[in-house]
Order: sequence, then structure tokens, then C-alpha cells
Amino acid sequence: MTDDHAPATRVGVDVGGTFTDLVTVRDGRIRVDKTPSTPAAPDEGVVAGLRALDAPLSEVGFLGHGTTVATNAVLEGEWADTALLATEGFRDAVEIGRQTRPDIYDFDATKPDPVVPRDRRFEVPERVDERGDVLRELDEAAVRDLAADLRESGVESLAVSLLFSFERPDHERRVREILRAEGVDASVSLSSDVLPEIREYERTLTTAMNAALKPVMDAYLGSLADSVAELGVDAPLRVMGSNGGLMAAAAARERPVDTLLSGPAAGVRGATHVAGRRGVSDLITMDMGGTSCDVSLVRDGDPLVTTDTVVGDYPVSVPTVDIHTVGAGGGSIGYVDTGGALRVGPRSAGAQPGPVCYNRGGTAPTVTDAHLVLGRIDPSGFLSDALARDADAVRDAFAPLAEAVADDPDATEAAARGVLDVANANMRRALRVVSVERGYDPREFALVAFGGAGPLHATALADALDVPEVIVPRAAGVLSALGLLISDVVYDYSTSMVRRLDDVDPAALREAFAGFEAEGRAELRDAGRTADETAFERTLDLRYAGQSFDLSVPVEGDLTSDELAAVAERFHAAHERRYGHASPGEPVELVTVRLRARGLVEPPELAVADRAGDPDDAVTGTRRVGFADGDHDTPVYDRGLLPTDASVDGPAVVEGTESTVVVHPGQRARVDGDANLVVDTGGDDE
Amino acid sequence: MTAGNDDADAGVDSVTLEVIRNGCEAVAEEMNATLVRTGYSPNIKERRDCSTALFDADGEMIAQAETMPVHLGAMPYSVAAAVEAFPPETLSPGDSVLLNDPFRGGAHLPDLTLVTPIHDADGDAVIAFAANRAHHADIGGSTAGSVAADSTEIYQEGLRIPPVKFEAGTGAVAEDGTPVGEVREDVLSMILANVRTPEERRGDLRAQVAANATGRRRFRELAAEHGDDLAPALEAINDYSERRMRAELAELPDGTYEFADALDDDGRGNEDLAVEVTLTVDGDAVTVDFTGTAAQTDGPVNAVLAVTASATYYAVRCVTDPDIPPNHGCYRPIDIVAPEGTIVNPEPPAAVVGGNLETSQRVTDTVLGALAQAAPEAVAAAGQGTMNNVTLGGTDPRDGSPYAFYETQGGGFGGRAGGDGMDGVHVHMSNTLNTPAEVLETAYPLRVERYALRPDSGGAGASRGGLGLRRDIRVRDHTARVSLLAERHESHPYGLAGGGEGTNGAAYLVDEDGEELEKLPAKHTRDLPAGSVVSVRTPGGGGYGDPADRDADAVERDLRLGKLTPEAAREQYGYEATGEEQDEDSEPSAGRPERDD
Repeated sequence: MTDDHAPATRVGVDVGGTFTDLVTVRDGRIRVDKTPSTPAAPDEGVVAGLRALDAPLSEVGFLGHGTTVATNAVLEGEWADTALLATEGFRDAVEIGRQTRPDIYDFDATKPDPVVPRDRRFEVPERVDERGDVLRELDEAAVRDLAADLRESGVESLAVSLLFSFERPDHERRVREILRAEGVDASVSLSSDVLPEIREYERTLTTAMNAALKPVMDAYLGSLADSVAELGVDAPLRVMGSNGGLMAAAAARERPVDTLLSGPAAGVRGATHVAGRRGVSDLITMDMGGTSCDVSLVRDGDPLVTTDTVVGDYPVSVPTVDIHTVGAGGGSIGYVDTGGALRVGPRSAGAQPGPVCYNRGGTAPTVTDAHLVLGRIDPSGFLSDALARDADAVRDAFAPLAEAVADDPDATEAAARGVLDVANANMRRALRVVSVERGYDPREFALVAFGGAGPLHATALADALDVPEVIVPRAAGVLSALGLLISDVVYDYSTSMVRRLDDVDPAALREAFAGFEAEGRAELRDAGRTADETAFERTLDLRYAGQSFDLSVPVEGDLTSDELAAVAERFHAAHERRYGHASPGEPVELVTVRLRARGLVEPPELAVADRAGDPDDAVTGTRRVGFADGDHDTPVYDRGLLPTDASVDGPAVVEGTESTVVVHPGQRARVDGDANLVVDTGGDDE
Repeated sequence: MTAGNDDADAGVDSVTLEVIRNGCEAVAEEMNATLVRTGYSPNIKERRDCSTALFDADGEMIAQAETMPVHLGAMPYSVAAAVEAFPPETLSPGDSVLLNDPFRGGAHLPDLTLVTPIHDADGDAVIAFAANRAHHADIGGSTAGSVAADSTEIYQEGLRIPPVKFEAGTGAVAEDGTPVGEVREDVLSMILANVRTPEERRGDLRAQVAANATGRRRFRELAAEHGDDLAPALEAINDYSERRMRAELAELPDGTYEFADALDDDGRGNEDLAVEVTLTVDGDAVTVDFTGTAAQTDGPVNAVLAVTASATYYAVRCVTDPDIPPNHGCYRPIDIVAPEGTIVNPEPPAAVVGGNLETSQRVTDTVLGALAQAAPEAVAAAGQGTMNNVTLGGTDPRDGSPYAFYETQGGGFGGRAGGDGMDGVHVHMSNTLNTPAEVLETAYPLRVERYALRPDSGGAGASRGGLGLRRDIRVRDHTARVSLLAERHESHPYGLAGGGEGTNGAAYLVDEDGEELEKLPAKHTRDLPAGSVVSVRTPGGGGYGDPADRDADAVERDLRLGKLTPEAAREQYGYEATGEEQDEDSEPSAGRPERDD
């Protein structure tokens, strides 16, 4: 298969809540299209978007897709009727969870519903111990009895999660065989396949969630694949996984739990790519939309990955790009609380009724309205000029805030400034969480801002955090779709193998890795990657014996006892770096063996024609704009008219088709060779 | 350059207030992240039995990271005790003060609190304090784990540390301008010589130092950024929370509300120890008077004043908007009267370890019981009212090494006007995580045989109480020593507004063949023979509202889910199955677990 090897058309389709974004690259030229999303049947929007493309669909050689189908199913609890089979004595473990309550002081806070209700959870007599030895043989007759009940119950999907199945998956596999033989035709997810890692609650929940999503994802991708084929697209459909790598559609149908952060991961990938072309490989991404702001950190060109993500109150333990979300977006509502403090969000006006200035019936002052009041976005035309506004309605909306901030209901500007300061304080906290709290100094990172509202805030935030440079990509609003075009195909494999590193037989590790490589090679082949486009990264999760948090350490050479000793050394060094101390004398324990199989994708050439001209010709007018040091008559630039290498000193406002960039006094913006707008904040080492 | 900051106003406007409050909370949270990240023992890293907070120069708490409820209202006592021992003018930049003495700023001995002064940029004046508290897995004393159920004096409970200077400023300044302190080796070595697992203690103390150093660095950045706005803003933050608390308290009807509950016993044969409260709402303030509460007792269930205050503050906070930022301002409208020499304000040398763990829960139950009369809609029925402390220790036959395993177990939360109580959670003063069975079995010579909800254990009500848990742990191939410290084995969590009581807790010793040998006392230490099982059943929460008002749908759902048996449905709700509901017996057909009984 030579899909993306020939200089064919590549298409990335990212489905968002409001719009479905399509990015097309053809002959090095990039094109962006938007079409309304169709939440009830998202594939219809995708098909409509593809149909409207200005390119022959038969020439599409690469099709990447970012989807929120799994995410929405989780958030809305609209998933398949699922049953769970657990080891005898443990059917409630998935409901008890970690025995914590979600809020200390709030009596009305509740735990999320267990994915599988108690009457759908069954117990299987069997027991394996921590070394993988069988303490109690699987009671096959009991499983056969259960099969009869399951057949009648009409469950659509099954999860099997037995204790220590990561040490010995035999019992789970045998359960599946018996159920099949007994005519149970619901799809089956085994915990030893989905997440073969220690900690029964997290493994079981992740497996149950996978099972519950499988019929949903299967129906969606099945129908999408059919429609796409009908359109004449030949290329295999690939779906962005939460880990920031693409996966074959067939793999996504099998492991939908790996797609929960599909869209956001694609955005981080797109941002990484754009920054990488500038030679920047350490960056913090900030994607701010209508209701929330997602931030993440990329180190050495790789997004940080976590196995500790929460989606809709559920911990999901599969490898996921580490994205931190805060409830601050363009639609976030400003209000004065009962103690007299000005607060912003997490309540949002969303897209309906939206900010006051959208004139769709919104009456609560939002972050977007505040930008409008301060002249940062164009009072006369916003996005397209289809949205009319009523300046009086906006001023009225801010009156209660102005009263609280400045004892004057007409102090609209002061109130608007307050709303932005508070929103920025919330976001600043989020940026610190992903950087400082993870042990990284934000001053050594660039901030890449996207989403409709990101570039409006990023320059002030960078200033506050001493981040020297803000990059606003040209295709900022559709970075997720771009990310779908440039990502490798990535599959992660793991298994827990808890034992002292000294006791580990290198041959056993070699065997485990060899098994993963064989799986990886096969899956990558199915995804259209040839052998020489395939790379493997081996890591071991290690900890000091008796500790509970582990660190991933790479395996670099042939797996011998010498290499294991070198791995232990690397672990001590990593521990020192991350936690500030190491104990080289202490025994080290292996926890999890991981392999990442990467099917390399050559990124498309993205040639951007240099644009010549005089920056002054890009000035479309002058507006009175409010900044921290007061109001300035501020030139407004049309981003599309700015020539390559143009430089704009703040105060300035640069308006693009997707977003608006605020250049504060003392800052300077330049247009680079890729038509990114790069703002030098005058921060730290500049 | 201050783009994004509005420094136009000299006073504290509503924007500056919110921005600086956000900044302070971020500092407290970052301290917490540092503590959990650099902590050494599972107790800090996995169970998160630790807390961090920031205090102003007067020792008033301005922000906290919300993790362990019992710590939060108690830490101001630590700062006060540290300052009393070392007045600010005697503290140099880089110094810190360590303590655990329950009678001088602590709560119980395993909780070590580190208080670090934060000086201004010139190093002249103390402008704030960073403090953190961590539960150490051992601090010496008669029993591994330092949670002995049979102590009669604090001297048996472990090493008692009055406020001592733990770090001494060297006078040097780090690259980022923050002062450098050095841990005093003499103090550290004295501590390590008195505990069973010194290396683990050293690691956890190092994490506590790192957490406060983070707080100090970040707060100084905040001070540099906000300059003269900062000090008035800190005051304003507390005033703000006080204002919101008072506004909510003013909504409660004025009056005097009484409530009494009791501890089952102190583990030394003294039973039915009363906790009595007279709560007076007067305008926008409340007085909580514990007069009438039992005299301090022999066993280790005495709660020092800091613990009683923490439990009281918590209870009052729960009837107000959870969105109010928790800080000293919240506590200002609350006056506590706790007579000396009682189990809620004991004198030395009382044994106190369980005061923090168990009596704190009963104080919460009692204050909430009184508040329920003033605000019936806002208060939940009693939760399980205990932390079910279980310590198992011995020699691991797999490698001959000694081990000590400590855990606390969740149970039922109380039913509330808004719905059923949560099943199987820690209630009120605790919120620590459990240890996964797979982690436990890998680390210790123990086997978890069952971890399950207890059907029928929630109190009946329009909203039923949450279910308690059953957790069975088998001892593998060796004799282990078990120590239980629990409550509500005799009394029951109360119901409210006509709701029924939750089922009480119990513990059994089961022999290798599954025969229940004997019921174990709630506070008890004994040997467990190889192969035997300790089976702990934790209490359910009380019900809320008349059971007759419960929706038939809700009863049917519980029946379908097997959270309620048909017998209990009949007895508690007068519900008769229609007969069509064949899967009433919703226990799984394979490996049907026996009834919890």
C-alpha cells in the first residue's frame, strides 16, 4: 500500500462541537474548510465536508480523522448495555473505586455511575496470584451456566477482568472461548488486552468502558468507512488516538477507549509540528474555545503522556497525551458572587445563547464580550459579519460587574478588564499545573496558542509567566485537523510484571518485547506501514521496591543483564531529576513493560509562498483598545495581508480569519516563513 | 510589562481579590503536588494522607489544598504553636519548625507538621507561613504503625516532638533569591533513632521540606508581583470568606440546638462515652459548646482541641456553600467551647491517637446532628462514623523481612434530602484512598478474599443511607499481628427526618475453612494464625426521610441491583415483589457470593 508515499492529496477531518474542520494538503498547498457539525450523526458532517472539497476524492491517499464519538458517549452515558465478569469476591471493586468522595465539603457531590450496573456484574470462581500461579482453577461449568444467562439478558457487550490477568491471561481467554462456544455473540473486551496492568479498579474500569463503547464506535466507524468508500476515497481511514498517534479504523473499533482524547491529542500534534518547523521542540500548547481551555506540555518534540487521565469523572488509565482542562473559554460568564468577588466561569454561555454580542439572546457578560468592550475584537465584524451586535446590550450586561469593580455601573471598560484579568488568572494556574508542577520551567518553553480564543489571551499569559515567545500558527483554528496529517501511526503495548529487577530474567523480557513487536508489526502492517517504516521504543516502568509511583525508563541496547544494570542506573538518574533524590543502594522493582510501535509517516511538504509587500498596507484601520497601562489608539492589521518577515510593534491587533492576536505594548510580532505569527514578549532571556 | 494585570486601584477591588486568591490557592496546590511527588512512603504517595496550607503573618490561614479534612482546621494550631515557641523576630530566613505534640499544635503523633516562615525580599520581616502535615507510617511507640488501640498514655504512642527548629537558615541565598536552610542533623538523628523505619521517615521529611520550600519560593514571587497590594489582599481574602460564611449563617434560624451521640468505648473497658453539643445560632455567628461531653478516658480516643475544632469547622462548612474558599475567615464566625479534661479537649498525658481518627468522626456527627435541627435540608444523616483502621504486621515468609501494613476503610455516607448516600466511601474527616488488592498482595504476605458492598446496610429512608463494605483479608503462611481501631460496632449511624439507622460495623475472625470463629472487638490487638481471615464489615450510613416516602422505583432498583434483599425491602419499605421480577435474586448465578451476615 502506498497511500501516503505518493504525493497524493492528504485530508485531515476533525469533528468539533460546532464545526467539522477539514485540512487538505495537495502539491504542498494547504487548504482549510469548515462545515457545520452534525452531532446526532457526526459522519454526515464528515461526508458533507468531504463532498464539498475542491479536490478529486479519488486522489485522496491519506485520510486522518479526529472524533469525539467515544468522548460524547462517556459524557452523556449513552453507551452499550454491558456486562462484567470479575473474579469471585470482586464484582463490586469497579463500583467502590478508590473509596474517595469527589468533594470534601459538598454533601450533594456523587460518584459517577459505575459503567456496568451491579446486576450486570457477575463473578467467576478462579484465582491467580501475584506471580501468575493458579491458586484456584477456573470453574468452567460455572462459566457455562453464566453463558446461558448472558445469552438471554441481551447484553450488547462484555468485559472480563480477573485479578492478576496481566500475569496470566489464560483464564480471561478461556472465559471468552467458553462464552463463544456457548453461543454468546456480544463483543468481548479482556482486561489482559485492553490494559494489562496492575491495579484492579483502574484496569477493570478501563476495560468496562472499552466494552461499553465498542458497539457505539463500531457502528460509527463502520458507517463512516462505508460512506467514505462510496465517495470514491480509496485511502484507509485512520483515527487519532489519545496517545497522539494515528490508529487504523479497525483498531479504533476494537479499542475505542484509546480514542477518548482524539481531537485534543491531534491539536497538540499539530502544534508540535508547526513549532518543530521553527526549530522549537519545547512548547506549551493552549487551545481555548468557547467553554474551556486545554493546555499541555511538549518536551523534545513529544507531548507528555500520562496514564492518569480523567474523562467525565472516570479515571482512564490508557496512555494519553497529558492535557489539563480549565473551565475558561470565550463564552465563560463573568459574575459577582455573594462575597463581592468577580468570578469568571466555569458557567458558559456556550454557542447558544452565546455571548451578548452574538445577539442570540445572551444576556450574561462573557469573556468574548469583554474583548469586544476593550476593542480587542472588531465591534463591526466578528468571524464573519453575520453576527450583529448591540453595543448597549453589552454595556447593560456589564453594569452589575462595573458597579462591583468600580462603584460605577458605567465603568464598562474596568469591568471588562476585570473579567479578562480573572480569566487569565484561572488559565495561568492551568499553565503552571502542566509546567511547574511537572518539574518544568515555563521560561524555557514557547507558548503555542490556538482555538478561537487562545490568541486573544496567550500574549498576556506569556508575559505573566515570563514565556519568551508565543506562536500563533497560521492554521490556528484547525490545528487538530492539521495534526491528523502529520502524525505517525502509533500503538502502545504493555504488561505489568511486578518483581525485583535483580530477579528479572532478561530472556523473559526479551520474550515479552518480542511478543509485542510481533503484534505491533502486524497491526502496523494492517495500517499500511511497511517494515522499514516501523520503529519500536522499549521502556520499563520502574520504582524503588515498596514505592507506589513508577518512572518510565528506556531500554537502549540488547536486553542482557548488563543492559538491565544500565537501565537501573538510568532509573536512579531519572528519579533524581523528577523527584530531587535517588537511592542507588535501594532495590529497584520492575512494574510494567511497555513497547511503543511507531509506523513512521513522512510529513507532507507544506510550502508557503512568501508574500512580499509593506506591512503598512495591511493596516485596515485604527481602534481605541484597552490595555493594562490604559487605552491606546491601536493599529489593526489584516493578518492575511502581512508580508513574510513583517514585524509589528505593540500595541497592535492582528486579525485573521480564525482568530485575533493581541500584541501588547512592549511586545513585537513577526510573520515567519510559514506565515505563523510569532510574538516576542520581551520576556525572560530576550 | 504587566499586560494582563490591572494595577490601577490602590485598594483591594473585586478583581485583585480574585486574582491574588487564585495565586495563593495555586501556591498551596503546588506545595501539595510537591509533597505527593517527592514523598517517599505509600501513605503519602498512594493514600495522600497529607495536607498543605498558606498562612498570613498573623498565622491566619489564607489558602489550603483540599485533601485530608481532619488536617485542615487543625493546622492553624500548629502555626500558632510554632510562633509561640519561636516568635517571628527570632526566625531567620531558611528556618523551619517541626512539631507533632498533640498538646502543642499537633493532632496525634504520626502527623508531623512543618511550619516555614516566609520572609520579605530583604529578609527582614515574616510576611507569611507555609505549612504542611503528613501522616508518617511509624513514629515509634508500642506498636508498629503507631496506631495502638490499647495505649493509656501518650508516652506509649511514640515520639513526641514539641515545636523544634528543624532547619536553620544558613544566611546564604539561592540563585532565585530564596533563603537556604539546612536540616539540623542532631534533631533529625534523634527522630530517626526513635522510629522503626528511619529511611522512610527521612524520605518523607525531605518531601515536607521540599513542599514548604516550594511554597516559600512561589509566595515570594507572588509578593514581588503584587507589591503593596498583597498584604491588604490577604486580609481581604479572609474577610471575603467570612462575609460569605456570615451571610449563610444568618439564613439559619436563631436558636439553641442540642444533640448527643457517643463513642462505643475506648478499648480499655470504658463504654458509651458521650459527645454532647449545644449549638447556638445568633445572627450570623454560631457557638458550639461541648459541655456535657465525657471526661477524658484511659484509652486512646481523646481528641485534642485542634482536632475537635477541625471537626467542628468542617461540619459548619458543610451546611454552607462549598464554593466558599476555605480559609481562616470561614472560622471567624464559629466559637468553640470545649471544657478541659474531656475527650474533646484532654490534658496530658492522655492517649490521643484515635481522637484524630475516630472521635473526630463522632464530633462531626454530633455537630451535624445539632445543625440538622437548624437546617434540615442541608444536613445528611450520619455517615459510617469511623475510619476502620486496620494494621497488620509480621514477618513476610517470602523473604524473611518484617512488614507493617496500615489501611483505613470506607463505608456508607448518610442519605440526604437530595438523594441516597454514597456507597463505600470515606466520610467526613477522612478521604484517603484504598490500597488495590493487587498492590497489597504483591507487597505483603496477605490475600484479599473479598471486597464488596454490604447489601441492606444502608439505613432506610426516602433517601437511603450508603452501603458499608466488607473486606476479607487472609494471612498467608505466617502468624500476623492485627490491630483494629474502629467505632460504630455497638451504636448505629443515626437517621434524619424519619430515616432509619445505618447497620453497625463488625469484625470477625474466620478460620482457614471458612468457619466464623469469633466476633472481634472494635478496638483490639491479637495474633492471627496462618491461613485465617480477618473479615471487616463497615457501617452503612443513616437514612434520610420517612422510608414510606421512598419511590417504589428506587426500591425496585435497589432490589434489582442486589443492594437490598427482598426480606429487607418488605421489612423496611413494606415492599412486596410482584412475582414477575424473577431476577429479584440478582446475585450472579456463577460463584454466587454468600449473603453478608
